[in-house]
Amino acid sequence: MKKVFTVIASLFLLSSLMLAGCGKTDEAGSKENASGAAQSEKKVKIRIMGYNKEETRKSYLDYLKEKLPNVDIEFQFVDLKSFENMLRTQLAAGEGPDIFETSGSGAVYANAGYVEDLTDASFTSKYNDTGLMRYQGKVYTIPLQSWFEGIWYNKDIFEKQGLTPPKTWDEWMTIHEKLRQAGVKPQAMGAKSWEPMMKQSMGMLLNEFYTKPENKDFDAAFSEGTKKVSGNWNEVVSKWTETIQKGNITKDMLGIDYDQAQDEFATGKAAMWESGPWAAEALKQKNPNLNMGMFPIPGLTEGTGWLIGGPGSAFAVNKQSKHKDVAMQILELTATPEAQQALIKDNFGSSFLKGVDVQLPPEYEDSAAAFKEGHVYAPWITWPFGAIAEDYGKSLQEVLTGAKSVDDALKVLDDKAEQQRKSLKGN
Amino acid sequence: MIRKREFAFLLLIVPALLFYLIFYLYPVVSTFAHSFTDWSLLKRSVHFIGLENYKQLFHDDVVLTGIKNSIIYAVIMTIVQNALAVPLAVALDKNLRSKNLLRMVFFAPAVLSPLVVGFLWSYIMSSLDYGPLNQMLTQIGLGSVNWLGEPKLALYSVILTQVWQWTGWAMVIYLANLQGISKELFEAAHIDGANGWKTFWNITLPLLVPSITINTVLSMIGGLKVFDIIFSMTSGGPGHATESIVTVLLQRAFTDSQLGYASALGVLFSLFVMVVTFLQLRLMKRWEVS
Repeated sequence: MKKVFTVIASLFLLSSLMLAGCGKTDEAGSKENASGAAQSEKKVKIRIMGYNKEETRKSYLDYLKEKLPNVDIEFQFVDLKSFENMLRTQLAAGEGPDIFETSGSGAVYANAGYVEDLTDASFTSKYNDTGLMRYQGKVYTIPLQSWFEGIWYNKDIFEKQGLTPPKTWDEWMTIHEKLRQAGVKPQAMGAKSWEPMMKQSMGMLLNEFYTKPENKDFDAAFSEGTKKVSGNWNEVVSKWTETIQKGNITKDMLGIDYDQAQDEFATGKAAMWESGPWAAEALKQKNPNLNMGMFPIPGLTEGTGWLIGGPGSAFAVNKQSKHKDVAMQILELTATPEAQQALIKDNFGSSFLKGVDVQLPPEYEDSAAAFKEGHVYAPWITWPFGAIAEDYGKSLQEVLTGAKSVDDALKVLDDKAEQQRKSLKGN
Repeated sequence: MIRKREFAFLLLIVPALLFYLIFYLYPVVSTFAHSFTDWSLLKRSVHFIGLENYKQLFHDDVVLTGIKNSIIYAVIMTIVQNALAVPLAVALDKNLRSKNLLRMVFFAPAVLSPLVVGFLWSYIMSSLDYGPLNQMLTQIGLGSVNWLGEPKLALYSVILTQVWQWTGWAMVIYLANLQGISKELFEAAHIDGANGWKTFWNITLPLLVPSITINTVLSMIGGLKVFDIIFSMTSGGPGHATESIVTVLLQRAFTDSQLGYASALGVLFSLFVMVVTFLQLRLMKRWEVS
């Protein structure tokens, strides 16, 4: 009797487990049916994943919600620190977001077949060609507002010390010196991240390397592997390290993160901070009286200087998305002047949509000449590799601590690029 | 009939076995298999490349730094954490009026997520003028320290926070063990005229060995696997100074998209942890027996 009971009990247990499993699939199935049958009643869920915080997209998201009442848009912010990791893992598992933010042409994702080809989409032709970054002749990403960054400076401190934004590198170094003598920390930097030093050294390269006619096609050649940064960048990056030798960038900064550096600048403890328009709102929130402006990174000879930037962030559509039609509808809506103005409102930049005029707010007057000359560029976003600028930035941290030389740092960048070229080729 | 009965028991094992097969054995075997390939998230095809990944591992400076740091971290954590937890447990086993409160205070940090602890401490250890720790040090005239920005110091700053977080946890295990030791032994020792130190050395410590084994093995394994606290406090920086095996693994797998290569590192790492744990258990067993 006992044995029979055990058998029955175990069978019962097993069947209940199996039924529980069935129950789940049944439920999911019926849900899908329901949404298919009554699409007008049930909201379609669309997930947008981005590395710019939700507050910098607020007006735009509100605009989408207003225009698409039947779509439930979930905006998921992931810090850039882990953005690529998360995105790639999700895509590889077939569970990626419907739309995601990326920089540049989306080459990495296109190469792996994760993103929709947008070359012939109805909205693509509405953008200026300068904003459309192609990979192997095809468009995979739709540009949002342009991205740029320069040096934020505290106008009140500058005025008090009788300083004006620098026109040359040497002037900029002198400004640091004068501020230090006056007891003001010249520059705040969150060098715990690999980004700020990487970007400032790029600023020097933009002024002194990329402007030379013989280096016009350097990035294309570097992507192909016919040219290396070692032997080309050494002199310019070494010149840039002058700012480390002069004590403008110090080891202390390696213990400070982005938000802490922002605090220092916002509260007037530091006179300059390298960042972009997305920080403007946060700075004003932290200190409503902050009187600030942005100047481009100056070069050795007098000129407009250069801003780091480019088409910057863009939207790509996940090829595996269940609601691709809705995702495309969102991109269609994004290609309207209203949506572009909404994007610009929360995070200033110029629009690549044809016929959208953007007024330069007063904070950026010192950069107006650079904009006019088109002196906005970021080399690494044109490379079809993964996050190798990160390895370069981390090497610069080691240059700051004295563990590496500039030559070593550039070699790291070359090695990483070579590795990526190899794995891209092996298709 | 017996056979039928055994069959029924076997049936009961099936759900657990399936779970084990799908979520443990399959990933392990698959990782092992992929460690011999050039599998990458950047391309669709996968090729067999033999031991190439393993060879490369030993020429990867960052991997070697990661291994070195994980070992330093695990060894220091194991020694310091336990060396502090044993006396702490003995003290809080005494009849203090505030013992429950103190036990709670020491255990409390272990309840927090390492990520929360990491963000808190990276604020406390900030090298800014208003970094609380440096403010304190400056006020008592010691000057400020670049806790997380100095490559030679950063790893030890991280270890400091983890000792703070996990000592209480080890203490709780020792406390449980202490409460299981018969009071008669202490009374007998007292009558024989043994002083506090002798009692600790000859009675308390030998009887604590089982929990010392558990605690040291766990903190060694946990130390070698360290990830979340480093990720939240330094992200492996400055440069690669505080990289651990797992942070490098994650970078190679997802930032660089080299899944095959990262699998090789994963396999090597598992083997290493297995060997270390095995040796440690053997060593502790020998002590337990004697």
